[in-house]
Amino acid sequence: MLLDYDRLGGWRWGLVGVGTVVMLFLLLPIVFIAALSFGDSQWLVFPPPGWTMQWYQQLLTDPVWVNALLTSAKVGVIVTVLSVVLGLLAALGLARSRFFGKSALQAFFLTPMVLPVVVLAVALYAFFLKLGLTGTLTGFVIGHLIIALPFSIITIGNSLQSFDSALEDAAMICGASPLEVKWRVTLPAIRLGMFAAAIFSFLISWDEVVLSIFMASPTLQTLPVLIWSTLRQDLTPVIASASTLLVAFTVVLMLLASFLKKGSRQ
Amino acid sequence: MTTPFLQIRGLRKTYDQVVAIDHVALDIKQGEFMTFLGPSGSGKSTTLYIVAGFQEPTEGQVLLNGKSLLDVAPNKRNIGMVFQRYTLFPHLTVGENVAFPLRVRRRPESEIKAKVEKMLELVHLADYRDRLPGQMSGGQQQRVAIARALAYDPPLLLMDEPLAALDKKLREEIQFELRRIHQETGVTILYVTHDQEEALRLSDRIAVFSQGRIEQVGTGEELYEHPSSRFVAGFIGNSNFLPVKVEQMGAGRARAIFPNGQAVEGDARAFAAGSEGTLMVRPEQMRIRPHATSAQGLAVTVRDMTYLGDSMHFAVQTPWEQELAVRMAVRDGQGLCIGSSAVLEWDSQHGHVFA
Repeated sequence: MLLDYDRLGGWRWGLVGVGTVVMLFLLLPIVFIAALSFGDSQWLVFPPPGWTMQWYQQLLTDPVWVNALLTSAKVGVIVTVLSVVLGLLAALGLARSRFFGKSALQAFFLTPMVLPVVVLAVALYAFFLKLGLTGTLTGFVIGHLIIALPFSIITIGNSLQSFDSALEDAAMICGASPLEVKWRVTLPAIRLGMFAAAIFSFLISWDEVVLSIFMASPTLQTLPVLIWSTLRQDLTPVIASASTLLVAFTVVLMLLASFLKKGSRQ
Repeated sequence: MTTPFLQIRGLRKTYDQVVAIDHVALDIKQGEFMTFLGPSGSGKSTTLYIVAGFQEPTEGQVLLNGKSLLDVAPNKRNIGMVFQRYTLFPHLTVGENVAFPLRVRRRPESEIKAKVEKMLELVHLADYRDRLPGQMSGGQQQRVAIARALAYDPPLLLMDEPLAALDKKLREEIQFELRRIHQETGVTILYVTHDQEEALRLSDRIAVFSQGRIEQVGTGEELYEHPSSRFVAGFIGNSNFLPVKVEQMGAGRARAIFPNGQAVEGDARAFAAGSEGTLMVRPEQMRIRPHATSAQGLAVTVRDMTYLGDSMHFAVQTPWEQELAVRMAVRDGQGLCIGSSAVLEWDSQHGHVFA
């Protein structure tokens, strides 16, 4: 290649420098917030004068925070299940059949990805207000599902595309009914894609804040919403610890997803 | 007369305006190894896929033991099939792949176990039962696919170029295995290939496909010795095609003249006198002599000679400057050298005149 890293000479150090700066730019805020969550200053002083676990203790004993955490988890799990099931059905329909308006439908399924979330949020809020769905678990689930579903459809659709449909023919001629073919051959073959879709869906729900602010009520809110509303009132290091937990869990799921990707390539 | 085991009747398949196959008709005997041979796009795979049930014909009928197959869903046809691509289920072990058709048939566990063992022994892979397909070579995977396709004792086994992805040596090895399996199980096989050598090696009978139609059906010997058309002659074995003009038509024989005015005789079907044709002679049926020994000889010049160990290959030039290929035993070629004039001879029953 023309721009081979090994032949760049002195430019190489420039590249390394730029890379490092970008990386710091991206990661420093997270490191910063994680450090603050363990610091014993009430006022989020950096560097922290001393270390403590008291903010985490406060976080996990305050029923408001614990409830928000549980709500986030509950919404996340329900959204994940629905997103994978509906995403699978949609992807199967798009990949395996031919019908009029298929590409239009495909584009329609993906619109939530390109639509500004805030527009979606306002629209849903107005609509749900009429139905009495704001401030309910159902409202959260439907809102998050709308954003998560396109990712599910794309991820599962991709793994269906790399799956050789001759395997389905082979299973069929072996005597398996269409449903058995899907259950015994197709689903096991695309299971990694389904896991990936599940992780993406959960993550999307887990750190969604815009839609959630519109859906939340004083008694029912997710962790990101609580962080946001607490932040507007006062600046307590509990926010830092809540944020750190949020990030830590996200990192764990991302790692899991990348392991799955590695596994599927083998 | 008993009904034939498998009857393919008047099959026609069109996609939009394109005719994939037309007037395909064939009877196959029980236990026969029938090969569909032809270039890609000749309709051989389409015909096989209609028998399998993956495609529906526009017209025509397929009967197995006198009963229509077309009304039966593909998963109820009880037919075995091996595909060109490796189609073992990647998440199942070799043993479970072979067990798959038995499991969907809800057979008892003890029967499944015994049958899997028996099938893996048939393809000489008994030690591989717990492997995953990804850990095996292409040849081994296709052998497992054969075991899977035969596990439920189907009356008919379809094979769609199963060896096309394998290298030559492996291909020959599995061809040999396939013959043995065919003999041991007695299953009727419909085999699709574009490789004429493979067709000759394996089949009881061969149906040669061209442009959506069956050109000729017969044993390998019949097709080689008595091709019914120029296409069949060109597709099976090597051949020389010489331009002729038919002068006179007799009972299955034609008298024709070469461009240089010399007369020649050969096997022929009905011909109108005066029409243009082609005389086909196989390279190994021709002899090069220093001097004429019979009336039917063509004066040629030796252009090239190649020593091939068991035979010699010659390129000779006719008076109208066409190059022909000739194969002779090494000792018969002695005394010839490049540039020498000679006479090319063949027995007239080895000459075939085509349109």
